[in-house]
Amino acid sequence: MSFQKDPQQNETKHLHQLANFSDRRILEIGCGEGRLTWRYATKPAMTIAIDPDQDAVRVATIERPSDLEDRVHFSNAIAERLPFPKETFDIALLSWSF
Amino acid sequence: MVHALDEIRRVLVTDGILVDLRPVGNQWRVEVFCARETRQTGTLTDLPTGLEDDKAANHAMAEGERTGWFLREKEGLFPIYYIWDSASEMEEWIAAEWEGYVGLGEEVRRATRSAWALGDADSRVRVEVQVLITRWKKL
Repeated sequence: MSFQKDPQQNETKHLHQLANFSDRRILEIGCGEGRLTWRYATKPAMTIAIDPDQDAVRVATIERPSDLEDRVHFSNAIAERLPFPKETFDIALLSWSF
Repeated sequence: MVHALDEIRRVLVTDGILVDLRPVGNQWRVEVFCARETRQTGTLTDLPTGLEDDKAANHAMAEGERTGWFLREKEGLFPIYYIWDSASEMEEWIAAEWEGYVGLGEEVRRATRSAWALGDADSRVRVEVQVLITRWKKL
């Protein structure tokens, strides 16, 4: 089966129009396998992407490019209980999760 | 969802930004397209689970605004396309991935199959999904 999602990258364009990710600390909620993460992940100083689906988090971690290993981290967590101290992030991104 | 918003607020810095990106049910258009033309064959049907999710998300965000946690700064709606090589592939996808959220009515299914079968050799099928993006500032 041949399938394409958003080949025009409208989502990426609108995301970058709405927020400046450069050198920021990002929390992505509902990252799944990292589909959206890879559309901005080269810009922030740090990205932590979470998802309740452990298998999806595993896939995202495996597919993480080696040059982003220090800056992009995936974790199995839920938005209702975020395992981070207060005021850790500059931007929170709800990624198709509400 | 409101509790999640409170948690997000806690981990954001003062003046931090929350970007909410999500699809919204809005009778997504089904089209058969090729280099020569695009033909709309109908729209998908919004189903209760999807509509309830939209309602719950809207309620949570409105609550976050009402309680003074966040200020809505910018909002927009834009389309993204899901594209398949054939009508049957689209049907399989909708049944597997969007069950309960959107449905493909029999009339639209038949019209799409017909338009694809009778279309040019490069004909493909797509659904235009509406995506809502909102920028919120932590107060």
